[in-house]
Amino acid sequence: MNLWRLEWFRLLRTRSWIALAAVFLFFGLLGPISARYMEQILQRFAGEVSVTLPPPTPATGLEQYLGNVMQIGLLVVLAVAAGALAFDQPVERAAFYRSRVRRVWTLLAPRYVVVTLATVAAFVLGTLGAWYETVVLLGKLPVGAMLLGMLLTSLYLAFAVAVTAAAASVVRTPLAIVPIAAGLLIAVPLLGLIGPLRDWLPSVLLGSLVGLAVGVPPVEYVRPALLTLAATAVLLWLAAARLGRREL
Amino acid sequence: MTPPAPAAGDAPPLVTTRGLGKVYGGVVALADVDLVVPRGSVYGVVGPNGAGKTTLLSILVGLKQPTSGSVTLGVARERIALVPDTPSFEPWLTAREVVALARSLVALAPSAEAVDATLRRTGLADAADRANGGFSRGMLQRLGLAAAMAGEPTLLVLDEPAAALDPAGRRDVLDLVSDLRGGTTILFSSHILVDVQQVCDTIGILRDGRLLFQGATRDLLAGKAAPAFTVRLRPPFDGVVDALEAAPWVHLVERAGLDRLRVTVASTDAAETELVRTLADAGARVVGIAPAEVDLEHVFLELTG
Repeated sequence: MNLWRLEWFRLLRTRSWIALAAVFLFFGLLGPISARYMEQILQRFAGEVSVTLPPPTPATGLEQYLGNVMQIGLLVVLAVAAGALAFDQPVERAAFYRSRVRRVWTLLAPRYVVVTLATVAAFVLGTLGAWYETVVLLGKLPVGAMLLGMLLTSLYLAFAVAVTAAAASVVRTPLAIVPIAAGLLIAVPLLGLIGPLRDWLPSVLLGSLVGLAVGVPPVEYVRPALLTLAATAVLLWLAAARLGRREL
Repeated sequence: MTPPAPAAGDAPPLVTTRGLGKVYGGVVALADVDLVVPRGSVYGVVGPNGAGKTTLLSILVGLKQPTSGSVTLGVARERIALVPDTPSFEPWLTAREVVALARSLVALAPSAEAVDATLRRTGLADAADRANGGFSRGMLQRLGLAAAMAGEPTLLVLDEPAAALDPAGRRDVLDLVSDLRGGTTILFSSHILVDVQQVCDTIGILRDGRLLFQGATRDLLAGKAAPAFTVRLRPPFDGVVDALEAAPWVHLVERAGLDRLRVTVASTDAAETELVRTLADAGARVVGIAPAEVDLEHVFLELTG
């Protein structure tokens, strides 16, 4: 038994992995179907009004999937991450860990890495589901673009978990951590209002899967990928520094 | 307060603090504490609620930073184990997993034998494979001790380890502490003075964040308590109490049961010559008179009252 195995057990025994896998897979399977039949669905509710939508494309299927999963799915990710990263609650449990390890990074690293890997695995699972259904219902998607898009979106998810770690260094309970992390992630795209920053923001990566699928050159995502990597490292460093100074 | 210096030839203390202070937003939790924990001792930190016991222990194990002063440890941090008053672990971990995790946290090699031995020693062998989320308070306390002992600590810090346990659980915890005596230095905070008197050979008394006394338990009991006598009477004895309280050599008269008075006196000589006469004059029906056993509670109340 060690701290890495502990995090693996946390995923399994708290059923967090089910929550992650279920939400990504559900939207992965739902997105392309809803894209394919959106016109018919809307028509059922429109009554006498005639609904006409542009014919769905493979990219529309991905858009539907990502639109849902990067809201509800991301909230589930934040909740799971907050549960693991709120390691100063309760205080007695925190005392068990903190009085025995010299550096807070020893506690932080397995929690961050295992939650991030589980999140990425759930995202990949959901995306593979969405990809399969898109191919069946709407048409083929370029393999290279899909793989690169999954990699870039995974990078954003790693950033989101790092934001949660940083939030956990500010407040202690999962209930407080989740809204702060969500608020920060919502605020990031708003920085795009500052012109020169727009193309650098981590949130640009959220559009990479669809963008690459419709032919946006990969080079467009180099800057946000680099900034996301750097921001993730800085957030983790900040979290470790603050948690290291925090008293119980 | 100046700590007693270790005698020549003694091993250096395991823990020494100098002028230790802690202030929370203007509230003084600890002030100028000079603690000396002798190597191999069972040191009891006693004090009323809010005296600063938990703050002191938290600073010693590195969970809090002092506002002033210094801590000198004669042991690496990894060799210190803390058991909080209400130990808590991930509820889905089994007792065996908690103990194994505690070993790995202090970089001890995995050893199923060592884990099993620790569980047996703490009376948890039968619950080894049960998730601790269903444990009673007493079992969690044992698991906290097991997790601490699993790390083979040089210094074991116990914060109110028996405060919320039933008498049998308390007895078990005190027996465990007694078993560890000699091999491990134990720092033990409590407001249950009977427990401290039973297991601690050295005592520090805290009140309002200040160390009022520090030294051997026997020195404290011998040197600080005013002499007292236990008088067994047949009731009623209201008139007897009045007569005793009127005597100039009587310091305090307390009822110590249905048929007993505890009479604290200014001097043993005066009591030995005057006590019987005063009781006889008051018409008391005396069953017995004996020197009162000095207990920590009375010393504590005298020091902190």
